[in-house]
Amino acid sequence: MHKKAFALAAASTLVLSVQVALAQDKPAPPPIWKQGQPASMADSKLAPNPGKMTETAAADIPLNKLTLPKGFKVEVWATGMVGGRAMAFGDSGKKLYMGTRGIGRVYEVTDAGDKRTVRVVVDKLTQPSGVAFQSGSLYVMAIDKVLRYDGIEANPAVQPVDMTAAFKLPPEQHHNWKYLAFGPDKKLYVPFGGPCNICEPPTKEYAQLRRYNPDGSGMEVIATGIRNTQGFDWHPKTGEIWFTDHGRDWLGDNGPEDELNRLSKTGLNFGFPYCHANGIPDPDIKKKDACKDVTLPVTTMGPHAAVMGIKFYTGDMFPKEYQGVAFIARKGSWNRTKKFAYDVVTVKAGPDGKGAKITPFMTGFMDPKENTFWGRPAYIAQLKDGSLLVSDEQLGAIYRISYSAPKK
Amino acid sequence: MSAAHAQVEDRVKACAGCHGADGNSVIMGIPSLAAQPMIFLENYLVMTREGIRGLDDMQALLKGVPDRDIIAIAKHYSALPSKPGSGSIDKNLFRKGREIAAKNRCGICHLPHFRGREQMPRLAGQREEFLAEAMLAYRQNRRPGGDTLMAASLYGIPEADFKALAHYLSRLK
Repeated sequence: MHKKAFALAAASTLVLSVQVALAQDKPAPPPIWKQGQPASMADSKLAPNPGKMTETAAADIPLNKLTLPKGFKVEVWATGMVGGRAMAFGDSGKKLYMGTRGIGRVYEVTDAGDKRTVRVVVDKLTQPSGVAFQSGSLYVMAIDKVLRYDGIEANPAVQPVDMTAAFKLPPEQHHNWKYLAFGPDKKLYVPFGGPCNICEPPTKEYAQLRRYNPDGSGMEVIATGIRNTQGFDWHPKTGEIWFTDHGRDWLGDNGPEDELNRLSKTGLNFGFPYCHANGIPDPDIKKKDACKDVTLPVTTMGPHAAVMGIKFYTGDMFPKEYQGVAFIARKGSWNRTKKFAYDVVTVKAGPDGKGAKITPFMTGFMDPKENTFWGRPAYIAQLKDGSLLVSDEQLGAIYRISYSAPKK
Repeated sequence: MSAAHAQVEDRVKACAGCHGADGNSVIMGIPSLAAQPMIFLENYLVMTREGIRGLDDMQALLKGVPDRDIIAIAKHYSALPSKPGSGSIDKNLFRKGREIAAKNRCGICHLPHFRGREQMPRLAGQREEFLAEAMLAYRQNRRPGGDTLMAASLYGIPEADFKALAHYLSRLK
């Protein structure tokens, strides 16, 4: 397998040093960050957007810049969850758990009706972005650790059960922070990203979606060729899993676009690293008939959009036309000269994925004229009353979106 | 002087013993903080306080320091000028380092003058031995809290190249 990695590295323009490294150091993967950066982009100034690791007060959130369709209202629901992104409700619906990346914490947000309080459940973890809840237990997954907190809603001081060994997490870290969710089959769904911008992964443990029994047993790989999915949900009519996926970087402003995919049966291949978006063969990692037998997306989701959480709306607060529609958060681009997305969109499609239509829903996190942003919507959760929560990873906040029919 | 300002002055005094009164370290293995981008300093101070960086002595110093003081400390150091050490230049090593930096495109993120920006640190004028060790630690996955992208960027680069890179970068202004 290192032979393959070596051939790939030597093929790129900037990795002469790898040959030396392999000779005198322990075998190392190629310098994946630089992979696929064409010579024409050597003078590029594009770099990942900085996160914010300090608290933002509600008063400092420019909520008035946000725009929603008529009749919808947005308010700040909770603040102080620095770096907070994916959300999972406890069984009572009164506690919401939130994962993070860089700051290493998992939060518990308690809803007391008119206000929210926040505490840190666990810290010092390596990017514990995965949180899921089932049968009284909170599941937390970091890049290198899996913890379960039994009965945490009633017993905040409960010590975790370390389940890491059962899940057999592979060693590469990049793109291996998690989104987690339990399916209708009560199994835990876990993505394993491609550990690079673009590469043939060093082993078969990457670029795939798996499911496990809650105790980590019974692992199945249910889909392959997935670069980096950070969100999925199950279609309310078909029960099929739909998932978002990030396109690769360093191929210019226009793509390849991110994806919204539908898994109609297990075992499908979604193309990475050979085939992207609506059937674009990769210019660096080549294979004959690169897109043959690749399942194409329900819809592409825009270039470098960083498409994150997805939630099919099943509440009864919003107008009827939103029933069963997918709400999708697009955190916004970095590998693009003009910033793109930084919004929540709806995708309306048939249960078979046909006829997908993307419509902006929540905009204003970005200023297109100034090419700047202030917030990064990441995940969506539905409250019991049918309103939606949207997490903002940049400001560590949750916004609540409600609807009341405009007066005639 | 406001009370808040006085408090930050006090906090900064605790940093000066190691990082230098003007934020330019003269102690082996201790990084200079002067002229670092403010977001970079904020992030590292927060991660250290949270125990994610695994630096126990530093964490003890930062225990309980609120975000507003972290921001003030970061602002303080980001505004101080960088004063690179007066070490001599090994012309061959300097040239080699410059070539390695160009080949690996370090300047895309850290900028061509290597003064850093936002969450990406200034490398110009940083202490040589600190830079070499930091890069090695990144590559060997010994640098807790480090960005996975940075670690990935250094995979496969031999230690000798880090030494050349560190020499070159430490001599830049």
